[in-house]
Amino acid sequence: MTGPWAEALPWVIVLPLVGAALTPAVAVRHPRVAGFWAWGVLLVTAVLASGLVAELLARGPFSYELGGWAASYGIELRFDHFSAWVLPLAVLFVVIVPFSWRYLDHVMPDERRPPFYALLLLNAGGMIGFCVTGDLFNLFVFTEVVSLSSYALVAVGGRGLAAFAALKYLFIGAVSSLLMLFATAQLFVLTGSLNMADVSLGLGEIGSGTAVMVAFAAFAVSFMVKAAMFPVHVWLPDAHAIAPSPVSAVLSGMVVKVGIVGMLRIYQIYFGAEVLELGAFNLALVWLGAVSIVMGAFFAIFQDDIKLMLAYSTISNIGYIVLGLGLASPYAVIGASVHVFNHALIKATLFLAAGSIIHQTGFRTLSDLRGIARTMPQTSAAMAIGAVSIVGLPPTAGFVCKWYIALGAFEANQAPFGFALVFGALFIFIYYIRMLNAFYFQKPVHDEVAQASETPWSMRGPVVLLASLCLILGVLGGIPLNFVEPAVLDLLPFWGQ
Amino acid sequence: MTSAVGLVGGLGVVSSWWPGVAVALPLVGVVAVSVGRLSERWRVVALVAPAVAALAVALAIVGDVVAGRLPELFVLHMTPTLWMVLRVDAPGALYGATVAALGLLALVFSFGYVHRGPRWSRYFAFLMASLSCTLGVAYAGNLLTFLIFYEAFSVLTYALVVHEQTPEAIRAGAKYIAYILVGGSLVLAGILLTYFLAGDLTFVAGGFLAADVSRGQLLAAFWCFVAGFGVKAALVPLHGWVPDAHPAAPAPFSAVLSGVMVAAGAFGIMRVALDVFGADLVRALGVASWLTAIAAVTVLVGALLAIGQDDLKRRLAYSTISQMGYLTLAVSLLGSGVMAGALVHLVHHAFLKGTLFFCAGLWIHAGGGRRVGELRGIGARMPLTAAAFTLAVLGMIGVPPLSGFVSKWWLGVGMLEVDAGIGLAVLLAGALLAAAYLLPVVYVVYFAPAGPTAGRSGREAPATMLAPTLVAAALTIVFGLGSHYGGFPLDLAQLAVAAWFGGG
Amino acid sequence: MEVVDVRPILAPFVSFLCAGLVFGFGRSIFWRRFFTFLAAFIKMALVLSMLPGTLQGVVYVYQFVEFTPGIGIGFRADAYGMFFSLVSSTLWVFTTIYAIGYMQGDRDRVRFFGFFALCVSTTVGVAFAENLLTFFLFYETLTICTYPLVVHAETREALRAGRIYLTYTLIGGGFALVGAVMTLNAAGTLTFAAPGILGLESGVGTLAVIFLCLIIGFGVKAAVMPLHGWLPIAMVAPTPVSALLHAVAVVKVGAFGVTRVIYNVFGVELLQQLGFATPLALLAGFTIVAASTIALTQDHLKRRLAYSTISQLSYIVLGAALLTPLAATAAVLHIANQAFAKITMFFVVGAITRTTGKKYVSEIDGIGARMPWSMAAFTIASLSFVGVPLTAGFITKWYLALGALEADAWWFVLVLIASSLLNAGYFFPILHRAYFRPAKEPWPPLEPGRHFETPKTLLIPIVICAAYVLLLGVTAEVPGMPGSVAQVAVESFFAPRGVGP
Repeated sequence: MTGPWAEALPWVIVLPLVGAALTPAVAVRHPRVAGFWAWGVLLVTAVLASGLVAELLARGPFSYELGGWAASYGIELRFDHFSAWVLPLAVLFVVIVPFSWRYLDHVMPDERRPPFYALLLLNAGGMIGFCVTGDLFNLFVFTEVVSLSSYALVAVGGRGLAAFAALKYLFIGAVSSLLMLFATAQLFVLTGSLNMADVSLGLGEIGSGTAVMVAFAAFAVSFMVKAAMFPVHVWLPDAHAIAPSPVSAVLSGMVVKVGIVGMLRIYQIYFGAEVLELGAFNLALVWLGAVSIVMGAFFAIFQDDIKLMLAYSTISNIGYIVLGLGLASPYAVIGASVHVFNHALIKATLFLAAGSIIHQTGFRTLSDLRGIARTMPQTSAAMAIGAVSIVGLPPTAGFVCKWYIALGAFEANQAPFGFALVFGALFIFIYYIRMLNAFYFQKPVHDEVAQASETPWSMRGPVVLLASLCLILGVLGGIPLNFVEPAVLDLLPFWGQ
Repeated sequence: MTSAVGLVGGLGVVSSWWPGVAVALPLVGVVAVSVGRLSERWRVVALVAPAVAALAVALAIVGDVVAGRLPELFVLHMTPTLWMVLRVDAPGALYGATVAALGLLALVFSFGYVHRGPRWSRYFAFLMASLSCTLGVAYAGNLLTFLIFYEAFSVLTYALVVHEQTPEAIRAGAKYIAYILVGGSLVLAGILLTYFLAGDLTFVAGGFLAADVSRGQLLAAFWCFVAGFGVKAALVPLHGWVPDAHPAAPAPFSAVLSGVMVAAGAFGIMRVALDVFGADLVRALGVASWLTAIAAVTVLVGALLAIGQDDLKRRLAYSTISQMGYLTLAVSLLGSGVMAGALVHLVHHAFLKGTLFFCAGLWIHAGGGRRVGELRGIGARMPLTAAAFTLAVLGMIGVPPLSGFVSKWWLGVGMLEVDAGIGLAVLLAGALLAAAYLLPVVYVVYFAPAGPTAGRSGREAPATMLAPTLVAAALTIVFGLGSHYGGFPLDLAQLAVAAWFGGG
Repeated sequence: MEVVDVRPILAPFVSFLCAGLVFGFGRSIFWRRFFTFLAAFIKMALVLSMLPGTLQGVVYVYQFVEFTPGIGIGFRADAYGMFFSLVSSTLWVFTTIYAIGYMQGDRDRVRFFGFFALCVSTTVGVAFAENLLTFFLFYETLTICTYPLVVHAETREALRAGRIYLTYTLIGGGFALVGAVMTLNAAGTLTFAAPGILGLESGVGTLAVIFLCLIIGFGVKAAVMPLHGWLPIAMVAPTPVSALLHAVAVVKVGAFGVTRVIYNVFGVELLQQLGFATPLALLAGFTIVAASTIALTQDHLKRRLAYSTISQLSYIVLGAALLTPLAATAAVLHIANQAFAKITMFFVVGAITRTTGKKYVSEIDGIGARMPWSMAAFTIASLSFVGVPLTAGFITKWYLALGALEADAWWFVLVLIASSLLNAGYFFPILHRAYFRPAKEPWPPLEPGRHFETPKTLLIPIVICAAYVLLLGVTAEVPGMPGSVAQVAVESFFAPRGVGP
């Protein structure tokens, strides 16, 4: 039985998409209105999402058939525990958008705002759609929507190297899209349906086989690219270098997570097959994840530009998630899934705080930003909290995921990876301590820094709010678990647990 | 809280404040001299009055003990099973009275001797504090209390050794504190072992350690004690601090050092051997002969080294080493007569050596110098001092009817009782050697022609310093003649040995 | 007997609140001092209010939030936790007074006192942690909160010291985290329990790794050699911070952690079967002697005290590692004894520097005349470390030596004796110089209008803490004093499994 909220399921996708389309019209007179319009749309979307999540908690997963057509012909939308990700997604957008109102002042002329916000809404809608669709082809479509809007956001908001970097992004993305298309087609051929549930059943009948495995591999690689996992991560640092901070926040925080959620969906689909030999695959994931962790941290340490450092930090953190997935024990996967959410929060905090600082002073490197804490205390404090969070020190959100993944490593008898996990994070703290020292304990070298003022409230509010959430969720770490645990536990047989 | 009734040879233990009062009285002097605002005269009164009172109390306690009442006072609860407790038995009363008396004499002497200056208050404060702690050692009822006061006065006396703050004094002080701390650590080790073996630390005449525990641990404990206390008691080869500390310290304090503080070490050995282990256990462990050997060596080596010393105070210091060796010798022989002699010797030696040091101090004060060679003919200019000195020398050698003779007599008789031929030989040799190192000084003082010191101030010493000297010398005669009277040292000594050997 | 009570969580959180208020209103001297004191006093009041119950065996618990069954943030005020929080809350009050006086005229006092108050809170959180997760949470937070205090001066030296400090403590934290996670995996729970929560069924290899990780993790802060390197370097911090770090908060939290691991994670019985405690005891013994030896060579006063601290902390570790009730009593008591004596010494050294500018042993000849009360306090503290009877240190020495004998490990008695002598070797010369040598140059005179040798805010804590050293030495058996709480704690460690909380 489904409640009234189930009917709202399509709206949660439709709203942002339609909003995107309407943005140019709405902002035709005053380009800046686009920002408020986008915010409004996202706010409503967030409200809808919360309703959907409430429904999920009360009565469990539910679905909706578009146009009333039954599955296998029509497009089915499904809201299960992994779909609950749309809520934090929407909330993060709601927090990030106000930040962009003032931030974009120094990034782009007002005329570019409507297209920017339209793309942002498109991006949001695409991600939401990705999470709630029950159809494979739909999945592909939404992935493309997300990717394309991301490229565009990077290019529209960026400058200078924009063209070259966006092209690189485009090219790699194109390869990954092709792979995904290929895999989707393969599954269609094999099972005769595009509906995920049906495909799953179909695979169950077919059992394993080369074709099945090939499709799986194609999906895996494609999502790995999206998730910026080593070794196909190369597009991320460049993108971050040129994108404006709100876009970086979205990119690092949410877009890359699409890849992870995609992987989880594929696991769900193949759940029915049950005979997949995942040993080698998991091993590959574990090692790639571990390498990502170390390599990301390593490169981050040598960066002077804050945003590049944060970009490599993202790669490192995705490594954690992948490691968790590869370990394939309940705690590890729970930890990885929770990290999907926590990392988004933390990265958003860091990027917005960094963006604030860049916005107020015009500088992006550590050596230039010495002593900024005196004049921008709240933003710096948020940055500090974000730094502590991302290293995974208690009492912040980052700690909870580390705890779980480490526990999972030991649960899976992979103790060395547990060690690697714990100490890998400490490694990256080397950079953050340089940053904190520079901000707090050294004298300013530039006048702009010495005389900078704090950001206006539309920028400061989101930053402070996000930082507070980092702390709160560090203490109340159990909240995301309510969603993640049932989902993961359902999937356990898939990993042979 | 064990009731000690019946444990001390049948004598009655009574709860009383007096031991605590005696220990606390000198501390009043400490406070008085530390507070800045009193005039000189009031400070002197504030020092002398408590000292006199303490002596009075100590003598009263002697009276109590002689009458069969042993005062006891529980002070602090230190651990679940251990208290800091004062309990006075015969040896304790004896030693305590000696401490109080000699302390008073030294105190009065010090008024004349110690220079007025910024360190004047410090000297008297530490002197009184040390006396207080030594009384605590005398009256301690268990090993823990003994240790508490023993460590305290070890640390406090440092300030007195280095009082003059000359390089010599500082060096002597460093040596002193190093030796004493090591010794104290050994004592603590012994106490810990004892507590571990027996579960209690209360002195019981006749010992409380059982013979059925590990022999190795008993031996370890015993030697820890002997070595630890032996440092203070100046047993050879642990005596190294003595010859430096005595000359470096101011003369009145040297008197106290030789008289009662070195004796504290020997007292400790006595307590350990007779009140912790007990004569039977010591015999059973087979350590007695080793102890005899060490003590004998101490007596002889100390005396031999004294002969060649030019510095008078050093000569006297070596003499102390030798004389205190008698006490350990007596303990090792485990005989009642010998022990009585030893206890008596402790008292008599205190005043004899005290007199000698006072005289040495008077001569230094008069400008006569510290070296024996410089004392030529000083007997003519300072006749009373010289007379006191001579009396004390005769007492040390053991000429009747002086006190020294009494103690040597009892030691000798006691040794004969236990067939200790070696002990007797050592006793006689020691006496001869004492003559050898003391009589020449007397000769120089009286009969040597006046040397370069002639022309310096030739007057007799001031009364404040002369009086204690003469009193101490007089005691030599008093103790000698009156030794068999009740209340005198011999009386107490016999009560003590009765408890140690007679009652069990 | 367990009672649900809100006070174990109230204590840390009220202090957190006050810390926040210090940050918020700190620009005004009055409010800054007010909230700092409020944090310290409320903590002390709450802790004291639970004391009568603790003495009767009541344990106060409060579950805050659960992640999953068995893992959550919980608070539990048992006897040992009460002991630690009693000590730290008492000392906090004094350190606060001292810090206010010492930091007068210094810069960034809002930041200083804000983080100061935060450290209060996290220490109490550690004391009352019900399980390893909560413990770890507050443990790491303490690291973070102490960092700004260490680098307060913002000189290159301070920043370097801060980096080294963080490196050591965070790596230690990493080990502790791994150990905690492995414990959860092996035992299924993280809640401290008196007879321990691990069992032989987890396999000796796993247990060894857990032990190693946890001990390394907490041993860094407890400055067990060779993990001690950060401590002397961190002396560059202002003296109130050194006093805090080295007497009350950071180092004691480490020692507290090590003892919790030994008694409440592994348990006495299991460790006796495994034999892991012996290498730890030997390491502690080595640290005791080696650190004291190094202290002999240090001319800088605070560095000498730093090495002395390293040595003294291992008394606690040794006491715990000997696995006997008497040794355990020593370990617990020494947390208090060492804290009061060491903090007195640091206070005095800070006062000397503030009054005369001198920082080296060779510079303080004759200071006994200029600052008699401070040096008297220093003397008392020195006597305590040497273990002279009637001071707190003697009690520790007594119990620890007896504990060693009880554990058939008599050679540790020799270690203790050597340590006492070494302590005398590096403290007594300081006293000698202060009292028995004339000053090399005249001391700065008393400032006009002042009657005491050094500002009252510095002198009062010095005198009170020194008095406390003496008090602890003679009141070991008085009910209500730390000694009695320690005994309740030790009883719980050695109760047989299944008996009581």
